[in-house]
Amino acid sequence: MSNRTDPLRVEYAEGPAGMRIVRQPPPPSAATFSATYVGPAGWAYDPAGAGGTARLTGQLLTSGAGRRNRIELARYLDRAGGTLSTQCDPESTDVTVWGPADQTERLLGVLADAVLRPRFEVADLDRVRRQLIERQLRELAQPGARADRELFRSIFPAGHPYHTTGGGDRRSVTRLRRGDLVRFHARHFVGDGGLFVATTPMSSRSLVAAVHRMFADLPDRRAPSVAVPSASPSTKREVSLDLPGRTQVEVRFGGASIPRADPGYAASYLANEVLGGATLLSRLFTRVRSKGGLAYHASSHLEAMRFGGYWVAQAGAGADRWKKVVPMLRQEVRRISESPIPSTELDLIRESRIGEIALALESTSDAHELALDVAYHGLPEDHWVTWPASLRSLSPTEVRRAAERAFDVRHATTVVVGPLGRG
Amino acid sequence: MRVRAALPEMARRVVPRPKVDSFRLANGLRVLLAPNPESPTASVWVWYRVGSKNEHPGITGASHWVEHMLFEGSPRYPKGAIDRAVVQVGGELNAFTDTDFTAYFSTVPRDHLSIPLDIESDRMTRALLTDREVERERTVIHSEREGNENWPEFRVEEEVYQLAFRIHPYRWDALGRREDIERLTPEELRSYYHKFYGTRNALLVISGGFDLRNTAAEVRRRFSSLPATGADVAVDHPEPAAHGERRGELSGPGTTPYLQMAWRSPALDDPLTPATMLVDTILGGETRLFSAGPGWGRAGEHPSARLCRALVETGLAVRATSEWRPRVYPGLFTIQAQAARGVTLDRLESAIEVVVERLCRSGPTAQEMRDAQTRIRRGAALAYEGASRTGFRLGYFAVLHSSSFEDQLFQQLLAVRPREVRDRARQLFGSETRVVVRYEPTGGAPDE
Repeated sequence: MSNRTDPLRVEYAEGPAGMRIVRQPPPPSAATFSATYVGPAGWAYDPAGAGGTARLTGQLLTSGAGRRNRIELARYLDRAGGTLSTQCDPESTDVTVWGPADQTERLLGVLADAVLRPRFEVADLDRVRRQLIERQLRELAQPGARADRELFRSIFPAGHPYHTTGGGDRRSVTRLRRGDLVRFHARHFVGDGGLFVATTPMSSRSLVAAVHRMFADLPDRRAPSVAVPSASPSTKREVSLDLPGRTQVEVRFGGASIPRADPGYAASYLANEVLGGATLLSRLFTRVRSKGGLAYHASSHLEAMRFGGYWVAQAGAGADRWKKVVPMLRQEVRRISESPIPSTELDLIRESRIGEIALALESTSDAHELALDVAYHGLPEDHWVTWPASLRSLSPTEVRRAAERAFDVRHATTVVVGPLGRG
Repeated sequence: MRVRAALPEMARRVVPRPKVDSFRLANGLRVLLAPNPESPTASVWVWYRVGSKNEHPGITGASHWVEHMLFEGSPRYPKGAIDRAVVQVGGELNAFTDTDFTAYFSTVPRDHLSIPLDIESDRMTRALLTDREVERERTVIHSEREGNENWPEFRVEEEVYQLAFRIHPYRWDALGRREDIERLTPEELRSYYHKFYGTRNALLVISGGFDLRNTAAEVRRRFSSLPATGADVAVDHPEPAAHGERRGELSGPGTTPYLQMAWRSPALDDPLTPATMLVDTILGGETRLFSAGPGWGRAGEHPSARLCRALVETGLAVRATSEWRPRVYPGLFTIQAQAARGVTLDRLESAIEVVVERLCRSGPTAQEMRDAQTRIRRGAALAYEGASRTGFRLGYFAVLHSSSFEDQLFQQLLAVRPREVRDRARQLFGSETRVVVRYEPTGGAPDE
């Protein structure tokens, strides 16, 4: 490893117990650092009948670790000026520490404690369990979160990691005991399959040495693998759920899509940006909001991950307007996959996405997201340097073909949730 | 016995407050320039001292509606052109409306700074607000409000402010009342815009990667020719003293009971503000102006906060926090809590009263004061990383008070003593004018 200074170029190294280390130089004027351990500990790995295990485990990592209980840990972070957070998704759990660059050693120690020596105190488990159950119930009662949930249930078969939002249900979460979390932690917060990603001014040599020293106790074994069933439903579906008393209907139109490793990802990414990803200039925003005045939010999303992916076109509209929005979403998704995108439109979106890379270098935490993306998907060290050229090399025909595959309207599901009876 | 090395408390800024050049044009426009030669981006913020405080019943929501309309056409930027100009170079833009101000920002790669400057100079006094676009936006604004109404917290907060204020315009939310969104005419909206939006009520903040001299010259070139407009935005009808408690009961869809309690609190420039902010930090964990973390928002629950310890740790609530918002005029200090399953709002309210009474009786402990002031130092230490955050923070303090106020307030916060926090708590919570709004969910829990 050298000591490069371009934050768009990361460096790989070997860490303890088979863990990969990725170092990213910070943006030029940053005085902070950010470091994340990514463990193969997403809810895809929840034991059968024990939904919520990964999410509870992840949340408890910040509730006391090593010799510090929850309050002592918070106090220590305050004094060092840092934050410690976790995020659990279907495939992995991220544990991130952020703070002043001159506190890096101390805060990396906190990160190592959280990853390796969480306390899992029973009182904390009870609190986090109550909060998780309540959050799940709130989401069931909210049109937006409920629509997302219904869409995932429709697209992905039971047993698929993306079939749920990872919180389990009241029964499964209530059944979980401290020992369940301790066992899950021991199996999944390991070296082989784990990643350590740091955006830091530390030299490469110092970083690698520090990680080897602090994570020396990382278990030298590989996390169990998970079987991912096929995500292709045979027929398109429509799901309507009336939630009386609400004021807005949430609409989703989506389906399964490609994984990030798919060779057509870059072209599919561009197609999604034209459709609804580049929100203000996108077709959905323009048609549904700017010209139609029908909704406050209208956008699309392409989530391409390791185990698979999904796409969704979405909007929120009043009870008297949502019926006009549904065909618009369908038509625009169909158009992106059936008709070539005019060169002027494609060029506009393409250059905007290339230009926005500069904005990701505003702060350490923004830049860190770029490094995490490279690290998690095992992309080349210079991925963000070559990304503009990759996008510029794509023709309208290639983008349309990729869209046809990534946005499969023939098998798409439509979900509407909200005060349907008022329309 | 081993002596553990003490970790020094953060006593200095890790990211220093940038050096700021300021000047005022002859037409009244105030300009703050904060260059950072290393920044790859430049951020342009225009803050208007116009917000929902300048509305009146019948045109509530006008400031927010104007915020939307300033993206919908001006002489050099027809509908859609503003979004296109900024986004096509990789920039991002947005705006937000508050009770006391409205802010518009664009952050762009540094070579494209002229784009947002051109946009802002064009729409500051000459936005078109055509009948057609105003009408089209009406349903979008409805939709935005409806999205908020789906959340019990929004409905409760709206009710709290309606009960707390009978005269002062803090009575309504910046989104406006539903019936006013229905009826406000394009002519009224144009009249509101032409009355208040202008150089006299605007503050232009530019931060990030740019050359100071060239940019100052560009600002003069683009903005000096604008007319000196913008009517007085001061609100001259203060809220009369309240007598007695005011309570509200709401019901609707949802899963668990929720409540907000509110007390009258001073304006930002009041000498009591530092002690009020310490009360907020001790009860809720952090205070809005000096919160930790890489984002702009307040961090999540803090385990040492009294409300968290007394309500969340004990299983009475799943969330509990306090909030004091900086306001130009006296506002509210609130406590919000969501009941845990099986806990009644009566029980939750009583538990909150116990927390408040304890603070009034005994004040904070020395450890709590140290912790709270450490969190404030930490919130200040990293506040200026990145052009966007710098533009936000400089403008926020300047539009609500003055450019120098942040440092002044920071020093005052570190000088507050435990006794002052106790006295402030007694004053704040001891009055009879509290407002309580409770939300009881009606339907059963949706199927899992």
